[in-house]
Amino acid sequence: MSRGKILLFYLATLAGILGWLGAVGLAPYLRSRGVPLGKFIYVCFSPVCHQIPARSFLAWGYPLAVCARCLGIYSGFLAGMALYPFLRGFSTVRLPETKVFLAVTAPIAVDTAGNFFRLWVTSNVLRLATGFLWGTILPFYLMTGLTELALKDKKQIE
Amino acid sequence: MNGPKPNLFVPALIGGVVAGILSGIPFVNCLCCLWIIGGAILASYLLAKDSTVTLRAGDGAIVGAFAGIFAAFVRSFLSIPFRAVEFALFQKIMERLSEYMPEAPGEWKDAFSLGAGPISIAGFFLGLVISAAIFAVLGALGGIIGMALFGKKTPPPAQGTKHETSQDTSHSQS
Repeated sequence: MSRGKILLFYLATLAGILGWLGAVGLAPYLRSRGVPLGKFIYVCFSPVCHQIPARSFLAWGYPLAVCARCLGIYSGFLAGMALYPFLRGFSTVRLPETKVFLAVTAPIAVDTAGNFFRLWVTSNVLRLATGFLWGTILPFYLMTGLTELALKDKKQIE
Repeated sequence: MNGPKPNLFVPALIGGVVAGILSGIPFVNCLCCLWIIGGAILASYLLAKDSTVTLRAGDGAIVGAFAGIFAAFVRSFLSIPFRAVEFALFQKIMERLSEYMPEAPGEWKDAFSLGAGPISIAGFFLGLVISAAIFAVLGALGGIIGMALFGKKTPPPAQGTKHETSQDTSHSQS
């Protein structure tokens, strides 16, 4: 029963991130075709991203709906979802170790702080890379928390 | 063995307000979704700090989700006065830019036009609903991370030994 719920949450989360990334790429495409829905998609992503064109990759001549760092995080999340079945399986859930979290967070934290305080300006590729690295560990937290909420035996997470 | 769980409202409210303010202030909000996750982590920390029971990742998800929703409300209302200021500032930047670059890139003009003009009440509430949904998910994620970092893994000592502070906790793995 728990295995089925874990798998269900996994598939739902996977569908969610695929749709999310799809929308990121769909926005510039629709905009290049002059479809108003493209603009609406940009607006939907505006609460979570500054969408500065110079910080975003282009597709069909227009910036993606999110910046390079956000694209990295979401892409990394998808990569983490691909790794999840091999590293965790669907029989149980377990939170990552704190030292692993800190290790993958350090690059994006340093990079973000440096840019925020105008110490340096990072290229979009590096923003993508640090975001990607951090994004890979996020599914392991989200899956654990959401699955735990649904498990009836309320087993404590390790 | 486990007493009543602490109230989620205040930690979620504090984390949400902090995240909402930081994500609503122009130029400061350049950290995108990280403010929401950070606010949710703060909410989890506040929840776990004074808790006498063992909290779980699911508890972090709930307090984080509520923090995200509160952040959406704060950010949405905060954006009303800042929206006009932001657009006026970007217009001045564009005017200056046009002195050096007569033909600004198309994506720059489009980017500025997205935030142009007054917003309708329906548009405001639609934006609020969309923000709340997205921030709730981000907040849940941040709350889970926060609980993993700051949540107690073992219950406090049994009665009979008086401890004034809750600092005497052990983390089994992390």
